[in-house]
Amino acid sequence: MPRLTIDGREIEAAAGRTVMEAATDAGIFIPYFCWHPKLSVPGNCRICVVGVEDKGGEWVEIACNMPVTEGMVVYTNSEKVRARRKATMQFITLNHPVDCGICDKAGECTLQDYHYEYNGERSISVDAKAHATKHYSLSPRIVLDNERCIQCTRCVRFTREISKSNGLGMQNRADHSLVRAVEDGSFANDPYSDNVIDICPVGALLSRSFLHKARVWYLKPTASVCPGCSRGCTVNLWHRRPEWRLRAPGMRAQNETIDRVTPLENPAVNGPWICNKGRDIAKVLGRARAETAMLKGRPAELQGAIAQARSLIAAARKPVAVVSSWASNEELAAFKAALGARFSVLVKADHEPEPGEVVQDDILIRADKNPNTAGARALFGEAPLALPPDADLVLVWGEGLDFGLIPAGAKIVYLNAWLQPENGHADVFFPTSIQTERDGHYTNFAGVTSAFTQCFPRPAGVADAQALFAALAGQAGGGE
Amino acid sequence: MRKQYWNEAEMGLWERAYLPEILRGLAITGGVFVRNMFKWMTGRKGALTTYYPEETRWDYAPANRGKHVLTRRADGSPQCVACNMCATVCPAKVIEIEAGFDPADEAHPKYPVRFEIDYSRCVFCGLCVEACPEDAIRMAKEVPDLPAHDRWSMWLGKEELLEWQPQGDVAKPYPPPPPRVPNGDRP
Repeated sequence: MPRLTIDGREIEAAAGRTVMEAATDAGIFIPYFCWHPKLSVPGNCRICVVGVEDKGGEWVEIACNMPVTEGMVVYTNSEKVRARRKATMQFITLNHPVDCGICDKAGECTLQDYHYEYNGERSISVDAKAHATKHYSLSPRIVLDNERCIQCTRCVRFTREISKSNGLGMQNRADHSLVRAVEDGSFANDPYSDNVIDICPVGALLSRSFLHKARVWYLKPTASVCPGCSRGCTVNLWHRRPEWRLRAPGMRAQNETIDRVTPLENPAVNGPWICNKGRDIAKVLGRARAETAMLKGRPAELQGAIAQARSLIAAARKPVAVVSSWASNEELAAFKAALGARFSVLVKADHEPEPGEVVQDDILIRADKNPNTAGARALFGEAPLALPPDADLVLVWGEGLDFGLIPAGAKIVYLNAWLQPENGHADVFFPTSIQTERDGHYTNFAGVTSAFTQCFPRPAGVADAQALFAALAGQAGGGE
Repeated sequence: MRKQYWNEAEMGLWERAYLPEILRGLAITGGVFVRNMFKWMTGRKGALTTYYPEETRWDYAPANRGKHVLTRRADGSPQCVACNMCATVCPAKVIEIEAGFDPADEAHPKYPVRFEIDYSRCVFCGLCVEACPEDAIRMAKEVPDLPAHDRWSMWLGKEELLEWQPQGDVAKPYPPPPPRVPNGDRP
């Protein structure tokens, strides 16, 4: 293993590693635009230049494409390197419109950060900036601003190397080069296309659903798990910071909505990527909520509903429970502890693949569209979902069960978070919290358990499933 | 013992009689009241009191930081590009801007759909004016029409803030629109 010195620190790196990788592994930061740990090395942005000591002098070379050699002495911040970086920044921003004020990337933009860190001066160019297409519609989900683009080709390489759709390419040369989608529509159909928005180091690729929705410093990421499929990708749910909450009349609800979803890097599950369904998970989580308990469709007090459900459970001869595969491990364990002995338990799939959706591929997307099937099956077994015809009480937890499958005459206790027509058909209905309103864990299909955290307060009237099961079993404490 | 003051009144027999001086005082107050009332009834101004909010002061200093003004472009659209710099710098966090996207306007694709200021919390510090990169927000010397029965009425929106158009401001030159780029379609 070659030993080399970076900024006076002696480190050891495997042969064949580049200086960039060796430095990153050792915790030494070298700036980069076009380099990405998961993508190939094009070496076109030239911002990662480092100095290499040679015969008393120093030459500069890009770190991302330079293999480590024995006894190499590297400087990341020498005078020569700083001058070269500054010149590179001047070159990269030569035609950049500097419209940070209206750019959605401002605040998390690599170009902006590097400008302050490595350049900090106005453009020294006396020529007019070259203009290019603004707001080019790259796909129904993505808007491209060609003036902001620095031609790092990360997006192009992503579609070639990660999503394999080959949906993007570069047209023309130099000042005229443009990122364009392939004409067969393969980029629009790429289920991973939105990842190019994250890996774009500038504000050239913008999400249409997030376009001008909020400046990023008004938002706060909360670590969560995507419930879209049994992969269970870790994600950041971005929502309004409490100190920046909107107060104007009629704007309060905006404070408790998910503004965007980005991947949370997790090598064990999803790496730095998620699919487009995960980006749109706010649509699933933001559906209309059920917020009152009901007895046969009539609104009721939670305590009254608990008392009614308890008497139904006490009177039942053959109670069956159908538990949710969207429930957290904590809730499932609470159910097993409180009611597992009383009920025979089956696990159901809350969501099935929707028409037009990518069912399964070999990158991330899994056919099982529920986040915690593995966690539920680990507790309640692999029994297929077949309700015994002599069941006289069915406790249904979560959406997605056809009530026609329930034996006629059986009493129904129903727990659901959403406002759905089945809610009124149950003898006792409890509104439950959703993922963004509690902490918990999901176990994905491979057995990896990931945690999600609470973003928003639980609405009044909505029961916490864990406390509810304890109350139904007759233990102390109500559903609140 | 009562405390002795340096300006202790020296009262003679007339003052000690109490009633005559009380009546004299009432006569002075009543005279002023009747005179002001007569002037007011005949449409003239009596006392120096400002009849706020029907009447506002005329002598605000030119630099007084009063109601916010959203300036307009020559075509009447708001100069604001919804960059949220004012809302970010605002120490009272009273400015709320919702941005819209207008692909037809090449030079100003981002514009404010909603621009609201909560005057019940505004501290009139003027930092929003300092922060604005587009000279889109200024402060008039006149104060906003604040009295209201509830705090929600103290939110002023884009329409109220845009109504004042400083005549001298629209005359400033604007940069030429960027050239149209032929290739590529638009959303």
